[in-house]
Amino acid sequence: MKIRTSEYFIREVFFSLKRNNWMSVASIATVAVSLFILGMFLIIVMNMNRMASSLESQVQISVYLKEDISKQDVKDLQDDLQNMQGIASVTFVGKEKAMERFKERLGDQKFLLDALGDTNPLPDSFEVTVKQPELVKTAAAAISNYSGVESAKYGQDVVEHLFDITRLIRIFGLALMAVLAGATLFIISNTIRLTVFARRKEIAIMKYVGATDWFIRWPFLLEGIVLGCGGGIIAALALRSAYGMIAAKIYNTLAYFPLIPTYPFLNYISLTILLSGMIIGALGSTISLKRFLKA
Amino acid sequence: MIHMKNVCKTYENGAVALDHVSIDIAKGEFVFLVGASGAGKSTFIKMLLREVLPSEGVLQINGHDVVHMPHGEVPYLRRGLGVIFQDYRLLPDKTVFENIAFAMQVIEAPRRLLQRSVNAVLDVVGLRDKYKCFPNQLSGGEQQRVAIARAIVNDPAIVIADEPTGNLDPETSWGIMDIFKRINTAGTTIVMATHDKTIVDTMKKRVIAIEDGRIVRDEARGVYGYEN
Repeated sequence: MKIRTSEYFIREVFFSLKRNNWMSVASIATVAVSLFILGMFLIIVMNMNRMASSLESQVQISVYLKEDISKQDVKDLQDDLQNMQGIASVTFVGKEKAMERFKERLGDQKFLLDALGDTNPLPDSFEVTVKQPELVKTAAAAISNYSGVESAKYGQDVVEHLFDITRLIRIFGLALMAVLAGATLFIISNTIRLTVFARRKEIAIMKYVGATDWFIRWPFLLEGIVLGCGGGIIAALALRSAYGMIAAKIYNTLAYFPLIPTYPFLNYISLTILLSGMIIGALGSTISLKRFLKA
Repeated sequence: MIHMKNVCKTYENGAVALDHVSIDIAKGEFVFLVGASGAGKSTFIKMLLREVLPSEGVLQINGHDVVHMPHGEVPYLRRGLGVIFQDYRLLPDKTVFENIAFAMQVIEAPRRLLQRSVNAVLDVVGLRDKYKCFPNQLSGGEQQRVAIARAIVNDPAIVIADEPTGNLDPETSWGIMDIFKRINTAGTTIVMATHDKTIVDTMKKRVIAIEDGRIVRDEARGVYGYEN
């Protein structure tokens, strides 16, 4: 593209942004709101995913042993587990120790256990940690196959619940995003249509004297991209400050909460938002130009 | 230059606009296209500009196969054509100079040629001193001259004029025809659709008469041949 030509395009874009000022503002605002919501969902889904996987990696495997297992078998099993690949540590927790911990966890409500009397229904168990979080699932599955092992649990209920919720949010978010993207496309293509209409005489002359489709298309495409980009910038800025504020609140109350650190995460999100804005803008103008350039 | 063989045009509603039209127009010719309204003149003109495509037949312009050319090649066909309309079609918010320069800018003509080419065509149409004016400050004849200047600024091989004098009084029309004559003398082919009997009869150029989509007359030094 020649310098002279790009100059011409840029002039055209700013001229028509000014001419359609209210529609331009409306388009930018719609894009901004849509992209902000899109960004919010992205942030929530990514954080939930991270939370789920961090829970998965933190949890140790509780290996509950059968009641009738002999001391020797326990010892052998411990050795076997320790020699398994990827296992970091294996700690034996006797049933008495387990009861003690349980009482501790119940705190004020440990009177509930009075009903049990002297019987201790808790089994002996091992606490197993793995070297890499990804190994938790396979290790738990392998351990539960050993004889003498009643079951091997690693809090998969919690993790799976979390994944379920994340999946729901993702589906809901996708549906919402589709609707918002549709609305945004609609308003941008309408704004561009106004510009096309205002310049229809010029376009007709351009075609008669032999301007190429791309030469005619560029100013409109740029206008759409500017609208989308403008909305994207606003959305990205809003998201950055919103995430910063929410993160600060969460850290104050729940210090251990595994939020994704602000940087460079927010930069990626901003980039995604900006790119989405530009793509939506370009698509919007393509839609309104398609019929016009056919003839 | 322009080669038509058995060209037909049937519109989607079944109307037959051109019916087996065969014609050859050589380089440097001056051709009047005459016929009543609805005879097929506009379809003929639009076909030259590739606004409508022939339903069948062969159409070649400046070596382009108009029927089979890909969409992306159309602009390059049109760069070889200068087009002038009855209603001038100038851009009201651009000056005379800008209107003419616009035709060069949009085909990305070299910037250094701009000033010189625009001044040259302003001389051809005799409006050098009005280059700063806006269209609404000009008379109809002057506006049409600007349109002619715009049509020829990219040096097309063929100028196509659709009733260029339709809105002008006889005296002004002659001024326009003088310009066409000069352009033609310089080697440009001219195809002009018109209803103006006096002009056709006086100019003694080739006349192609269309009636009901067919060519009924094609004379080297013809006359209008209809009563207005």
